[in-house]
Amino acid sequence: MGFQRARGALMRLVSVSIICMGFAQAAPAGMIGTGYLLEDESRAASISRMDILLARADVARQLEAFGVDQAMVMERLDALSTAELLELEGKLDSQVAGGDIIGLIGAVFVVLLILELVGVTDIFKSF
Amino acid sequence: MFRAQRVFDGSRLLPALLVLVTGCASIPPSVSELPAPAGSIELVDTPFYPQERYQCGPAALTTVLVKSGATVSLDEIVDKVYLPGRQGSLQYELLAATRTEGRLPYVIDGSLAAIWRELAAGRPVLVLQNLGIAAIPSWHYAVVIGIDAGRGEIVLRSGTDKRRVTRIRTFLHTWRRGDYWGMVVLEPGELPAAADRARYFESVAALEEAGRVEEAAAAWQAGLDNWPGDNVALFGLANSRFAMRDFQAAERAYRDLLEQRPGLLAARNNLALALAEQGNHDAALKEIGRALSENPDPALERELRDTEATIRRRMTSGER
Repeated sequence: MGFQRARGALMRLVSVSIICMGFAQAAPAGMIGTGYLLEDESRAASISRMDILLARADVARQLEAFGVDQAMVMERLDALSTAELLELEGKLDSQVAGGDIIGLIGAVFVVLLILELVGVTDIFKSF
Repeated sequence: MFRAQRVFDGSRLLPALLVLVTGCASIPPSVSELPAPAGSIELVDTPFYPQERYQCGPAALTTVLVKSGATVSLDEIVDKVYLPGRQGSLQYELLAATRTEGRLPYVIDGSLAAIWRELAAGRPVLVLQNLGIAAIPSWHYAVVIGIDAGRGEIVLRSGTDKRRVTRIRTFLHTWRRGDYWGMVVLEPGELPAAADRARYFESVAALEEAGRVEEAAAAWQAGLDNWPGDNVALFGLANSRFAMRDFQAAERAYRDLLEQRPGLLAARNNLALALAEQGNHDAALKEIGRALSENPDPALERELRDTEATIRRRMTSGER
């Protein structure tokens, strides 16, 4: 058991360090970014580097799980701000994903048709 | 799998119909209060990228990016924002991908007036709509390119329609269900038509964080021109100079800022680093010492101690 746990921790460390790569170019070492002034100071203080790394690891895993090509995962991670990463952590599946997903069935179709005719919805010419 | 439910069952339909209609028939006051713009406008030179199945996000984003002068292809944007497992794209990723093209995304106020102002400034607005209803959502990104207030119509590049004309009232229903979310693409240095200071600065800070230093510098400068003497814009501009390795200019900017706000320890930390980069280690250590003597919170203190250690290391290694 102990070995299993140690192995798990090691794997996590390895994946965190892989995710750290390419993370450095964002700001010169030691420089405190401008975003610091925008955060509520107490919130800024409560976000540790480890929180950010874990959020990155989590979002990376989710992007891959949702079919993003491995080669693109890092690039997409790097484009997200810290605030966005923390927002997405653990929540990728519940975020709105705009893409024309139409799930029309039987009776519901009739309701939608009525709503469409009175101008509440705008579904039927969209695809 | 849905075939069994296709059998028309009126007894089930009626309550459902009532619930859905009452749920959507009343227009919330926020919609009817939206100021009605006058006249009409249409950005006819907005490009058109007909979407592939589920890929309205990449198509809409490419449209607004190219309109802003970015040279990017639809395929590249698909790689950056499409999420196959969700058959769609996330709002955050649209913002993020905009930054990778060296452009500044800005989320506008959720009002018709805000769309109008951006169109008047020559910028189409990417919007999130829910074309269905809350219970059966059909999330969709489209680009507003025109409004005809007299006819009560809005013009969109939407899906496979190059010029989709929708009644403004209908559009507002679909936009409300998308939480009135809309974004424009700015060239760095350009301000939105009605800039909200905090939102604009957050957007620029994210551009800086993404490593687009020169673009961020232009955007901070525009912020400083619009809000003269603003501390955040000054700090941002100083940080951009630092990241561009113009340490003298960075030092000057940090000193200007600290004259206004001597207690801004994050700026003192960065000033110390800018001094060290110029080989002025003694002055750098003095600044860090001063910052540490001012009781920083624990997280900031850790940063300051790290900086102090970095400077000492550079001193002993004789590095300039």
